[in-house]
Amino acid sequence: MVVQQPGLDDIFHALAHPARREMLRQLSHGERNLSELAEPLDMSFPAASKHVRVLERAKLVRRRVEGRSHVCRIEGEPMAMAVEWMEAFRRIWEPNFVRLDALLEELKQDPKNKRGDR
Amino acid sequence: MSMSDTFHVEPRGDLEIYITRGFDAPRELVWKAMTTPELVRRWLYAPEGWEMTVCEGEIKVGGRYRWAWNGPDGKPALEISGENTVVEPPAKLVHTEAMKMWGPGFPKEGMNLGELLATMTLTEEDGRTTMEMVLAFASKEARDGALASGMAQGMSAGYLNLDAMLEEDAL
Repeated sequence: MVVQQPGLDDIFHALAHPARREMLRQLSHGERNLSELAEPLDMSFPAASKHVRVLERAKLVRRRVEGRSHVCRIEGEPMAMAVEWMEAFRRIWEPNFVRLDALLEELKQDPKNKRGDR
Repeated sequence: MSMSDTFHVEPRGDLEIYITRGFDAPRELVWKAMTTPELVRRWLYAPEGWEMTVCEGEIKVGGRYRWAWNGPDGKPALEISGENTVVEPPAKLVHTEAMKMWGPGFPKEGMNLGELLATMTLTEEDGRTTMEMVLAFASKEARDGALASGMAQGMSAGYLNLDAMLEEDAL
């Protein structure tokens, strides 16, 4: 059997929905079953299941069936990859914005930039 | 609350990244700081140890801009250039962005990482400005190239914070 690597494509698509990001956030604290994931999102079981399927396709989440319960857990590697690029983006940009904050403070102090003097 | 709390990065659709950041200043000043080359130079740096070698731009429709950095070894590391396509001070700026990167295993003349279209809008409320930026990649290849380079740059700091990425999602 050929095991297909999840593409960035699937990961990107999976992360593009706020409900799925919330599910991942829940799962980052430990295993949850489908109803536990559905409840805070005020979502029906089938709707939640559909979102989990997208996460499964991206290999971000794995689900196993225990009796009547679908237990979901986060999959480390693809998740790390997805989080890594988001975090990388923030890490690169946040210091820029912090410097920009400081520059803006300075510009605000400059009487030339006061409102009404324009 | 620190302003950095308002910094969000998230994918939107398959080919876009959506970024927002709040600034504690009126938008005329944010616009000025973001579009005046002498001022851009003071905050727009690449990662630690990099040096900005070129920072020039003409803020008008059809005007070109170019930013370039040397890495810690003093050699060219990154260049971003493009053309301004929409210029509406102090509310909206749209430009194309082509990224070129140098590094181990890359060709001598640098590797083109593909193009994107960056749409920045500034809105102001009570003297504070919200910047929203949509980075729209021309293709999946361009997106993956940019993401890969982001990862390469970010890798050195090497820590993960899932909560930081996922918290307070803008719906």
